Amino acid sequence: MNNIRRGRDSRPANTADPSRPAPHLSTKVWALILGAAFLLLAGLTAWQYLGAKPAARAEVWVDGVLKQTLDLSADGECRIESAEGWNLLTVSDGKIAVTAASCPDADCVRCGPQNSGPPIVCLPNRVSIRFTDSGGVDGAVR
Amino acid sequence: MKKRVVLLLLLLALSLAGCNLLPDASMQDRTVSDASIWAMDTQMDLRLYGDTDGTVMAELTAILNRLDHSLSATSPDSALTALNESGRTDDADVVYLASAAQTISAQTDGALDITLLPVSRLWGFGTDSYAVPEPAALDALRDRVGMDKLTVSDGAVSVSAGTMLDFGALAKGYAADLCRAKMEEAGIAGILSLGGNIQTVGTKPDGSDWIIGVQDPDDMGRYLLTLRLSGSASAVASGDYQRFFMQDGVRYCHILDPKTLSPVRGSLRSVTVVTDGGLKADGLSTALFVLGREAGIALWQSMGDFEAVWIEADGTVWITPGLKDRVVEGSYQVIEP
Repeated sequence: MNNIRRGRDSRPANTADPSRPAPHLSTKVWALILGAAFLLLAGLTAWQYLGAKPAARAEVWVDGVLKQTLDLSADGECRIESAEGWNLLTVSDGKIAVTAASCPDADCVRCGPQNSGPPIVCLPNRVSIRFTDSGGVDGAVR
Repeated sequence: MKKRVVLLLLLLALSLAGCNLLPDASMQDRTVSDASIWAMDTQMDLRLYGDTDGTVMAELTAILNRLDHSLSATSPDSALTALNESGRTDDADVVYLASAAQTISAQTDGALDITLLPVSRLWGFGTDSYAVPEPAALDALRDRVGMDKLTVSDGAVSVSAGTMLDFGALAKGYAADLCRAKMEEAGIAGILSLGGNIQTVGTKPDGSDWIIGVQDPDDMGRYLLTLRLSGSASAVASGDYQRFFMQDGVRYCHILDPKTLSPVRGSLRSVTVVTDGGLKADGLSTALFVLGREAGIALWQSMGDFEAVWIEADGTVWITPGLKDRVVEGSYQVIEP
């Protein structure tokens, strides 16, 4: 009975036992419930918009043309050839990474394993890896 | 108490719906057209709503391909190359961009300079053989660079001997403006990502805002900030993380400071500009990155017609007050007006 108090309203809410006062949760308990709900909402929003939501598939685009769609649940490697060079893609633990490339700056390799968020782009080789689930984001400024 | 709780729970449910966590059927019913092309040395992704016969998509693709050709500094037969080789052109796109560059350069105390192509090549950008040049080699180029080396008059652009223009800081923004005009003329909404330059046009079919993510310079797979944009808007970022090389542990990015003729080195990792025009956002983002945070804030205070996000090397995110109500998620500090 610690968290139950008699309400200010003395109307009998429990019709089965009119002699018993209606059980009311205290203001503190309601505040805790609402606080937890808002924290959950904040967490869900962050999860949705900050790129933490993992995508199931990744699209591999070369020179503006969709070349392959890779299932991120199936580990493996695939070498992508373009007119400008090559990129070695590795799928592991639900993420995709460019693990080696012929490009001089290796920016794409530095991106590391990803499964959400902005696309992995190799500008010299004209390769772009995009995730099928954008996590509610319409566009990535980069 | 109970009424208050019910009201609060109702508000919670409404906010969930507002955050798009609940499915929206209306989006599924609209015609969505997607296309990707490679132009201006980057991938461009176009999403249009309601372009049922593909006419507008074809027109946008034609615009981007035309500009890819005419504004290329490397294509031997482009309008820009003709200017850089002959010293003069009356190509309408080149003239427009040169004039716009003069305006933005004047507004930003010369922080935007489109004459740095020879310097950029000396550092190895665009040549794939990066190296820190000797100071004497940089000094030797000083008489070939500077916005005073170009003249726009009588519908033509002229440059001094040895001066070469590069529209890398403006071309995608200009392309976004032309595409937006075409879409608005046709009454088509959509979102364009021109190599990371975002252009929203009109309103999404379900009436919700566009959600834009600002990339974390230290983690390419993550957004540091997500913003809600309404209607037509441009968002462009400039930073040191997309094109750079490392030498002796120092990062040299592709954005050059016109005063030092060297890659910008400061406390900033990126600057994002949000405003009503693509060309303006593109030019200002570069200029603000060159200026640094303090001078950039002073510019924002004096111009007052754009919003901006500064990301510092320590991960601190600064935003202008106009963006405060547009942040969906992310930690930030607000610049004092």
